[in-house]
Amino acid sequence: MSDTSPDATGRQLPATPHELIYPEPPRKTLGALLGSQKIAPWLFLSPMLAFGAIFFILPLIYAFYISLTRWDSLSPPRWVGLDHYKYVLTMDPVFWKTLWNTMYFAAGSIGIGVPLAMVLAHAFTRSRGQTLWRSIYWLPMITNVVAVAYIWKFVLDDRYGLLNRALGVLGLGAPGWLTSPTLALTSVVLIFVWMQLGHNMLLFSAGLANIDESCYEAARLDGANERQLFTEITIPLLMPTTLFVLITNFISGLSYFTLMLVLTDGNGGPLRSTTVTGLYMYQMAFSDLRMGRASAVAYVLFAVILVITLIQLRVFRRGGVEAH
Amino acid sequence: MTRILSKSSFAAVLACTTALTGMASAQDVKTIKIATHYNDAQMAPLLKCFDVYESEHPDIKIEFQQASYGDFLQTILTSRVGGTSPDIYNIYSIWVPQLAAAGTLAEPPADLQDWIKSSYGEGTVGAATINGTLWGIPTELSVYQLLYNKKMLAEAGFDAPPATWDEPKKIAAAITTTNDQGVIDRAGYVYGPSVANAVHVYYSQMYADGTAPYSDDLRSTNFTSPESIQIVKRQGELFSEGITSNTNITDDFAAGTAAMMIAANWNKAELQQNFGDAFDSTVGVAPIPNNGGPAGTMLYSFLWAVDSTSQVKDESWKLLRWLNEAQGGASLSCTGQMLSDLGALTGNLADLSAMDTGDSFTAPFIAATESGAAKSQPNIWQAAENDRTLRSYIEQVWAGNMTAEDAMAAADAEVTSVLSEQQ
Repeated sequence: MSDTSPDATGRQLPATPHELIYPEPPRKTLGALLGSQKIAPWLFLSPMLAFGAIFFILPLIYAFYISLTRWDSLSPPRWVGLDHYKYVLTMDPVFWKTLWNTMYFAAGSIGIGVPLAMVLAHAFTRSRGQTLWRSIYWLPMITNVVAVAYIWKFVLDDRYGLLNRALGVLGLGAPGWLTSPTLALTSVVLIFVWMQLGHNMLLFSAGLANIDESCYEAARLDGANERQLFTEITIPLLMPTTLFVLITNFISGLSYFTLMLVLTDGNGGPLRSTTVTGLYMYQMAFSDLRMGRASAVAYVLFAVILVITLIQLRVFRRGGVEAH
Repeated sequence: MTRILSKSSFAAVLACTTALTGMASAQDVKTIKIATHYNDAQMAPLLKCFDVYESEHPDIKIEFQQASYGDFLQTILTSRVGGTSPDIYNIYSIWVPQLAAAGTLAEPPADLQDWIKSSYGEGTVGAATINGTLWGIPTELSVYQLLYNKKMLAEAGFDAPPATWDEPKKIAAAITTTNDQGVIDRAGYVYGPSVANAVHVYYSQMYADGTAPYSDDLRSTNFTSPESIQIVKRQGELFSEGITSNTNITDDFAAGTAAMMIAANWNKAELQQNFGDAFDSTVGVAPIPNNGGPAGTMLYSFLWAVDSTSQVKDESWKLLRWLNEAQGGASLSCTGQMLSDLGALTGNLADLSAMDTGDSFTAPFIAATESGAAKSQPNIWQAAENDRTLRSYIEQVWAGNMTAEDAMAAADAEVTSVLSEQQ
């Protein structure tokens, strides 16, 4: 007979209780494994990671591949290498004009819209009924862009528009707000500023609410007047918000074209004066079926936006964002 | 027991047979999907015909899909990428070169091609033909002519529309007025903001002058020909001399604030609605002014086409022929009835003769079609892109930024470069 006897699992048990037993560590259950610190965060992130991979990363990679091919979406893509990039950057008679229009639009909408939103947010923060004012300024943001375009077409009509009729009463001339090649893009900028004003004001209002009131009290004790409070306290302390507003506005401004599409019936006229790169890309892809070239334009625009955003970040960091 | 078993067996066999028969019937029914840019209201006569066809052909089910004109090409592309493309499309003829080159379209059977060639006008068959291959059955036909406001011309002392190139400017100048801010509030002549408002007008004027805008092989242009330069130069003069402007557009004609424009027959419904009882006494139609030669203009067409990947190609062509031939003693085919209700024209000769086209507005368009004066819009490669390029250079002349010679030379270079891409 053996001095040991098997247990239920077939293992040989020691014959005497004095023998040491080193049991195997308990095996982790699946639940414990998934709940571990290593796995759990990834598990929670996985839906977003999968979403990002499917809807952002894969399309980006595919678009880059398409930009190296000639593809009309009807027949198989044909490899052309960097030909589209070469054409767009060196031969295309329209691309650089559209890029200029894009820069003008983005810079114009920021140059006018951001300071205006900041000043109005500051003014309404100190006024009564600020919620009402904010709501009123927010309304264009939630209005359908097609409705916005039609409203402004009526307002800016050369002959019968409200604006030119008002100018007529004052004995002034009637500019072709949307029909003059030199004015049309500026008009679109102004409409876009009007649309975005409420959104930017809301961001600035949130930024203003975060400024400690004691800063103003200290400055007042030092004899600062209202203008000095705004320029020396408000603006510097709003710098992080300003940076955020500038970057998001610039990125959206550089890729925006919906308003131009609706205002000009998709033509980007007159004389391509409102054809921004986004609209040009849209026409190229869905009207001309040049998916490859349109993808190349998208990548060039992406590079431009990336460079400008990096410059903005660097400039603003040097300009005091980090200091706050 | 035996009787019970027999009854049970009989019931089971009956149930199985019924189920199998049902399955077989469901499998035998073929679905034909038809996509057009016409909406449900416009399609009403055709939708009724679909019901009749389904009742006469129990093995066929017809599904209608509508997509707006502006989104139609994108809809085709998306549906093909997604593998859900319709079997039948109603497409604009200028889309055909790319769709055909990409293998999207199926060629009609030989007997159907013979029927099309014998049943449709030459111009419309040409509009559906690319490099000698016929790609479908022509449907809606649009022809360009000079539309003029009889009352405005009469008020300015002109009792007849312009016939030669020198006249429109003179007449238009006499009609044009400006408001207190210097904006033209009554234009003698108008263009419009769309690509077609400039390019189709230019093509029509080229044909009126006896010159095709493109070479016969559609690989080069005639934009720099003396006729072309003159046409664009004259257009520029209308702007530079304050007779028209970007403010004044084709919609103004319907509003009664513009005296002349070159436009297509499909404007009839809107003009009738706007002018009401005064339509006949106000709106006149005349051949496009030229240098005194034979009349000429441009027409474009839509066509029924079948997708090359369709599993029901034969059934689709049969359905299309049925829709385009008068049925059951009717005077018009189903397609003809729909176009007639829309106030549109058709290239189908039988339908055309049965339509009420004798009114003073429609008759000149019909005359241009039947006489052969109306030439098919050239189905060039990348038509939408080239037309947009051409419009941009014509606009440069309107704005006074470029001379007609420079603008048309630049347009020629760009368009020819694109045309050279075709295989």
